[in-house]
Amino acid sequence: MEYVEKRVAQEAAKGVEASNALLTPLNLLLLGLFLYTAYSFLKPQPPAALPKDEPAVVFTTFTPRTLLPFNGEDNKPVYLAVRGRVFDVTRGRNFYGPGGPYENFAGRDASRGLACGSFDESMLTKDLDGPLDTLSDLGKDELEALQGWEERFNEKYLVVGKLVPVGEATKA
Amino acid sequence: MAFFDNLMLRMDESVTGLFGQWNLYTSLIFTTFVGFLTYQVVTRRDPDTHPLLLARQAQPSQVRHEGESAVYRSQAAPHGMPLQTGLNVKDAGASKWARGRDGDLRDIWRQVVGSVQDDGLTKGATGRILTVMGTDHVTEHRLDDITRQINLIGQHILDQGGNRVAIYLPNSVELIATLFACAFYNMTAVILPFDQSDEAVISMLRRSAADTVVTIPGSFPFDTVVKSYPSLRQLVWVVDEGSSHMDWNEVPQGTGGRVNVSTWQDIVSDSPVDAGKELPALKDQKDPRDVTVFWQSNNGLPEEMVRFTAANFMSGISALLFSVPASQRIGPSDLFLPADSLANTHTLLLTLGALYSNSSVAFNSVAVQADDLAVATRGIAPTILVATPSALLKTHQETSNAFTSFFAQKLHWLQTRHLTQNGVMPVAGLLSSYYDRLRPALGSKPGKLRLIFTAERVGSGNPQLSSIVLSDLRAYTGARIMYALTAPKVAGAVTQTNFYDYRVFEDASGSHFGPPLTSTEIILKDWKNYKTTNESSQGQIFVRGPSVAGGEAGLGVAGRIRDDNTLAYI
Repeated sequence: MEYVEKRVAQEAAKGVEASNALLTPLNLLLLGLFLYTAYSFLKPQPPAALPKDEPAVVFTTFTPRTLLPFNGEDNKPVYLAVRGRVFDVTRGRNFYGPGGPYENFAGRDASRGLACGSFDESMLTKDLDGPLDTLSDLGKDELEALQGWEERFNEKYLVVGKLVPVGEATKA
Repeated sequence: MAFFDNLMLRMDESVTGLFGQWNLYTSLIFTTFVGFLTYQVVTRRDPDTHPLLLARQAQPSQVRHEGESAVYRSQAAPHGMPLQTGLNVKDAGASKWARGRDGDLRDIWRQVVGSVQDDGLTKGATGRILTVMGTDHVTEHRLDDITRQINLIGQHILDQGGNRVAIYLPNSVELIATLFACAFYNMTAVILPFDQSDEAVISMLRRSAADTVVTIPGSFPFDTVVKSYPSLRQLVWVVDEGSSHMDWNEVPQGTGGRVNVSTWQDIVSDSPVDAGKELPALKDQKDPRDVTVFWQSNNGLPEEMVRFTAANFMSGISALLFSVPASQRIGPSDLFLPADSLANTHTLLLTLGALYSNSSVAFNSVAVQADDLAVATRGIAPTILVATPSALLKTHQETSNAFTSFFAQKLHWLQTRHLTQNGVMPVAGLLSSYYDRLRPALGSKPGKLRLIFTAERVGSGNPQLSSIVLSDLRAYTGARIMYALTAPKVAGAVTQTNFYDYRVFEDASGSHFGPPLTSTEIILKDWKNYKTTNESSQGQIFVRGPSVAGGEAGLGVAGRIRDDNTLAYI
């Protein structure tokens, strides 16, 4: 309290020497603050922009041989074919990728395996240069099961290409 | 301790010293500062739409084929879902939750007179139909009268063996009524662009194989047509009141012996008063017939004839209506004025959409030729306008010439700022009252206009509207503008700018046509040296969807997808 009284007295003793100058430090300070605020309010801003979309995957025609590398190894995408359509199942890498229960299907024609509900090596078409599996020997139940899988894939995964036997790729 | 005390004292002294300098100027600066902050805070409004919604307006498909771009669709019509096919017409007594029919032209007129579709506040409200003649002579048509005309004219043409009815009329109630008459009485309507040369009219009649013409005297080369187009069987003159006393039925000897000539007015007034009051029943009605239109291009090529199915039309109409946000949709409180030719499907479908929305519709036959919005809107105060880009450019030119004073230019700058920086339409305020005096005179009551539709016609070579011109026009008129891209084979529009898109792009690339409508999807196919790569999508514009005649059409021009996924010419 004592201090305040002392300071008040001190200031009072200074007397009135009211400056009428425009360019006092206080004015400059305030003016600067004002101009900065005005600038930041009024600065024209370009319209909002989002990063560009991921480029679309190009629809490709695969043969059993060119599909083979897409088995998920070395961080590659995982593709598998069902009845001539190639699905990108990379999002289901835990199932279809290396080490997953369905890893045999990666990069292969999985139609027969899915239809029969078997993940065996024997379900895959051995001859990569031969014709595609026609599935003509399958029964009604198996085709129904395959239909179910296809519908599921259609909902979840992208069709990124089609599978044709070697020799037909150039015609397509 | 002593050091600390000392520091405090010095700080105290410097602060008092600083504020001791307070003088008149300081007060002045301070007041302005506070005033500025208050103004900014008080006038601050949320943008009309989220800015990021404008940053990516269409959705690309995730897979594309070699040699073409991804398929682009409206955000409101996701991939994997069907595009918008129709008006979702609910029949009386149908379950509220059941999906409605796509509808056809007959459902539009039933909605105009009955207003049964909407369950909201506007249920039962019907619009008015007006004709503007001369400068400010406005006639209202009773809806019942038009229904009667539709029935009587339709029945008359059908009784005389009409099957393909060419409509060669300026924008008028009769044009719309004939279109509905064809729909109700199972005839194919052929809409000819008005005000064409004799050769063009004959060529269009021949190509469309029309057997009946509905037209007005003075514009239609009757004698020439009778001589050179023997398939004409029937002619209906629409005569205005001033000349209805003349006997138009009398065919000059030797010219039109085979042609059955009558006048609209006679057909309507010679029938019993009670005749034709009820529309044909909905039950057991036949499948809707096609509508044939002609697309004019300015480059001297013959008009392109396009047959649209009823499904094309309904899809186009519903997508155009859907493109207006729900809170701003066209409704019974609107007055809609087509100031562009109804022979263009864009204008026609918007007009049909406005009718379906029970909005009031005004027809002005001089609106098209005038190419002057001030003339076209005389005598009425439209809230929604369909205008040609050239008429808008003219309005822009004339208005910007008025903005010469420093004060006016600063006001315009302020209005534009609201639009482009804050994303809001400027509202009326103290400052804008001065601005109001400089606005273009559109309509008899200023401030009513709220929406302008306009469209680039592909391949027409018309000047485009840049984003700067569009923004200026929004500020001048106080109305939002939707700029569409239209093409011969597409009913309505291919793409259309977003209702809330007020952005301005300084560079020349500023002109774009927005994302696809919910009835179309676009794809760019490699063409000439325009190739789609992973970085950019460009090529010839192709459009697919239920509103496209034949399902898919190439537009014959190169386009590109901008970073905000809107379509632009290259």
